[in-house]
Amino acid sequence: MQNSTPKDIGSINFGLMEPEEYREMSATKIITADTYDDDGFPIDMGLMDPRLGVIDPGLECKTCGKHSGSCNGHFGHIELAAPVIHVGFTKLIRRLLRGTCRECSRLLLTEDERGEFYDQIDESRKLGRDLNDVTKAAIRQARKKDRCPHCGEVQYDIDHEKPTTYYEVQQVLTSEYSQRIAGAMQGDEEAGVERTTPDELAEKTEIDIGRINEILSGSFRPRESQRKAIEKALDIDLTEEDTNKLMPSDIRDWFEAIPDEDMEVLGINPERSRPEWMILTVLPVPPVTARPSITLDNGQRSEDDLTHKLVDIIRINQRFMENREAGAPQLIIEDLWELLQYHVTTFMDNEISGTPPARHRSGRPLKTLSQRLKGKEGRFRGSLSGKRVNFSARTVISPDPTLSLNEVGVPDRVASEMTQTMNVTERNVEEARRYVSNGPEAHPGANYVRRPDGRRLKVTEKNCEQLAEKVDAGWEVNRHLVDGDIVIFNRQPSLHRMSIMAHEVVVMPYKTFRLNTVVCPPYNADFDGDEMNMHALQNEEARAEARVLMRVQEQILSPRFGENIIGAIQDHISGMYLLTHDNPRFNETQALDLLRATRIDELPEPSGIDDEGEPFWTGYDVFSELLPDDLDLEFTGTVGDDVVVENGQLLEGTIAEDEVGEFGGEIVDTITKVYGNTRARIFINEVSTLAMRAIMHFGFSIGIDDETIPEEAQARIDETIEDANDRVEELIEAYERGELESLPGRTIDETLEMKIMQTLSRARDNAGNIADEHFTDENPAVVMAESGARGSMLNLTQMAGCVGQQAVRGERINRGYEDRTLSHYKPNDLSAEAHGFVENSYTSGLTPREFFFHAMGGREGLVDTAVRTSKSGYLQRRLINALSELEAQYDGTVRDTSDTIVQFEFGEDGTSPVKVSSGDDNDIDVERIADRVLDSEFESDAERRDFLGIKTEPTNLSEYADDRLVEGTEVTSDD
Amino acid sequence: MVDVSQHELVPEHTVLEEDVLEEVLTEYDIDRTDLPKIKRNDSALPDEADVGDVIKIVRNSRTTDQAVVYRLVVE
Repeated sequence: MQNSTPKDIGSINFGLMEPEEYREMSATKIITADTYDDDGFPIDMGLMDPRLGVIDPGLECKTCGKHSGSCNGHFGHIELAAPVIHVGFTKLIRRLLRGTCRECSRLLLTEDERGEFYDQIDESRKLGRDLNDVTKAAIRQARKKDRCPHCGEVQYDIDHEKPTTYYEVQQVLTSEYSQRIAGAMQGDEEAGVERTTPDELAEKTEIDIGRINEILSGSFRPRESQRKAIEKALDIDLTEEDTNKLMPSDIRDWFEAIPDEDMEVLGINPERSRPEWMILTVLPVPPVTARPSITLDNGQRSEDDLTHKLVDIIRINQRFMENREAGAPQLIIEDLWELLQYHVTTFMDNEISGTPPARHRSGRPLKTLSQRLKGKEGRFRGSLSGKRVNFSARTVISPDPTLSLNEVGVPDRVASEMTQTMNVTERNVEEARRYVSNGPEAHPGANYVRRPDGRRLKVTEKNCEQLAEKVDAGWEVNRHLVDGDIVIFNRQPSLHRMSIMAHEVVVMPYKTFRLNTVVCPPYNADFDGDEMNMHALQNEEARAEARVLMRVQEQILSPRFGENIIGAIQDHISGMYLLTHDNPRFNETQALDLLRATRIDELPEPSGIDDEGEPFWTGYDVFSELLPDDLDLEFTGTVGDDVVVENGQLLEGTIAEDEVGEFGGEIVDTITKVYGNTRARIFINEVSTLAMRAIMHFGFSIGIDDETIPEEAQARIDETIEDANDRVEELIEAYERGELESLPGRTIDETLEMKIMQTLSRARDNAGNIADEHFTDENPAVVMAESGARGSMLNLTQMAGCVGQQAVRGERINRGYEDRTLSHYKPNDLSAEAHGFVENSYTSGLTPREFFFHAMGGREGLVDTAVRTSKSGYLQRRLINALSELEAQYDGTVRDTSDTIVQFEFGEDGTSPVKVSSGDDNDIDVERIADRVLDSEFESDAERRDFLGIKTEPTNLSEYADDRLVEGTEVTSDD
Repeated sequence: MVDVSQHELVPEHTVLEEDVLEEVLTEYDIDRTDLPKIKRNDSALPDEADVGDVIKIVRNSRTTDQAVVYRLVVE
């Protein structure tokens, strides 16, 4: 594949192919069904003719002289003994038969009508509509004509028997006409129809009485006009359907005479596709490269399905010719013709309804042309749009909080399998030699080298030393992945942009990919066995693009809602909460320990001196070390207090989910938008490490005792539930007495259900409140719920207080047996217990019946999620297919591939959701503020322009360049 | 009958003059058939709108105050 330059495709034409074209491109005519002779050589003019291309390595192609691999193969052809219909065009053939005259082949429309449809086609084409609608309408109108408007010939209906047979349906005089007439003349007394004498009939029909008698005796067949007269007089039908089969040759003749002008109305371009070409007279034989034969272990050859099918076609074709030359009867010829049609049909499509599929000897249906292309595993979806790729790896993922969110830990065995191409120059020749001399097995080694003459050599343990000496400028070295290389990382299902991001490699031991836990939300990954894919990039453009556009830090803001999708999660949030909630104090060692995985290696001034005279640092001050120096923020936080940051100093508030969390954490969001992605990445990394240090400092664990409440509290809860049960009983009694008043718009039954549900849910809430009273703010479950790290107060209520009502389809559980949920209850028992109210808590344990009801509710949840994912997955696939061709243009419009405008301004405002900061609750007129500041600063426009210049974001090269980019803090590496 | 064009949620629809239309078409470098379409029987259309006319729609926008869209009347 050397010296191949990319080529531009000017245009592609689709159309029918002329038989003569098949013959011209054919390398040879195929006449024998045999493939190889006894010595194993391909037979000339057989299906494996060497002129059709080569598959065996080492042989030369007889047509083009190339070897296997570079010769694409050449088509041959079979001259069909009789024309056959192409199955792919049966619908179009039917349309043409119905729309054109059987005699003169012209379209059954007057000049005016034709012109009208011609205009409509023009208009449809301009508006980008489906032309089929117009052509269908044209055929529909043409079909209505009984006679040809041009030659006056009577037209008959065309019947199509799937897949490839066409009939003309004519109304002809039935053979039992005399009996029918006689029968009708008898009359019918019951129905009140009088007898008709021959004389009367003669009078009514104005046919001579002698003729009438001849007709009645069956010796004279009435003419058409006479038949109609008799039919009218006696109110009977004397016709029967007569079907006349149209042979492919008839259809071909018919189509040949269709004039070019008529075809454009039918949406056919006559210069490229004459309709008679839909009837095959020559069959192209695919090159052997498209149907290679395989040699089995025992030396036997096994042929491709297509070859088998072609053998069948040639056999029948020969028999057909022999029979016809021998003057066989028409019946046999027709049978053979049909057989030939069957074989050609199944050669192209073996899944036609109404035709038994052609089978292999083993009974397996053959995989013919259309089956190769169709469906998910077919050529288009399986081999062209998507295929297996090289330089990719897949393995289980596991967490590593010591990595930056931009990094991915790659197992050494993956790193030394996948390579990056190094172009050796004088400047990196030493480095390249070092890689090569390490060989293919030691980690930063090399697997292949390419000499300047293009020859590719494998680096082995044996030759690596020698090869390393030879490596020089102009060589290429395929070296292993090393730390800092950029790769693409992906987790399926790839539902949004952030499902595929670029990471920097960190080579590590063991077998899993390692990633920082903060990138779990965008990938929707966890570590319960999830696997992810990695792709090593193979050229500089791709690597540069990935680095600038796809790196994780460039994806912190989600285009879905314009806020950060990456941020602290779970334990990070608990940790930040513990660190900042009561603003605890730390001594020097503790404070340094908290900050040890961050860039901060010198503590600020102590926050104060404690009673013992020792300096201390508060949680606020420790956290503030991570903030940009000039950050100002004020908002209402997770816990409900005001969070105040002034000059990069946290003054008030608790840091938790809404501050640094994954979906729109205010501080992370602001830092990303104001200070850029690099700063945000550093902040998220440091917040997560600080939070881990903090949570380890305080210690954080949860056990069964954390959800257990004192006995007296349990007694109160029991009392509450008992109370609720009583009230439910009262409601039921009132209902049974008929004293319950229905709520507006509800039946009495519904009212009762609603009131019971209300009572019970209140009971659960009360139980929860009682339980809550006994939990301190230090309770880990409370900490998690408060901070938004995980879980909610409802979860806590269910664990400690009372699980509450179980529901299926939003109602109390009503299914099971007739009039009751379980056989443990009396029929029509409306009590709380009998309809799935779980009085116990998860800690106290559920009774068997409660457990059963709980499982019912739980099952509904599972089914719902399963159904939702499959439904929404399909919906998204269709949406993406529909939207994938839309593109934002340089003029701001959004257009599809045919340049039709979809939006005049991208999103109607021309802004990117991640670059704009406005929502319903914050209407910031940034432009005006900026202008005001600038106006007061500068006097003339020119001065202002000079000052502003053009601001460009630094192109982020590597983690190692951070120190220069951030606030000028001069930190040297910590290793 | 309710006249929907008077509803506050229905943006203003006006028929574009031929010379203004030319400007719009040259601005975007398109034929009028490349515009988005609107059906003639759309109740938001002004009465004088005819097939082949181009309608200018001015919508209120939260982000840009006003968003202008053109549509070709069809059928």
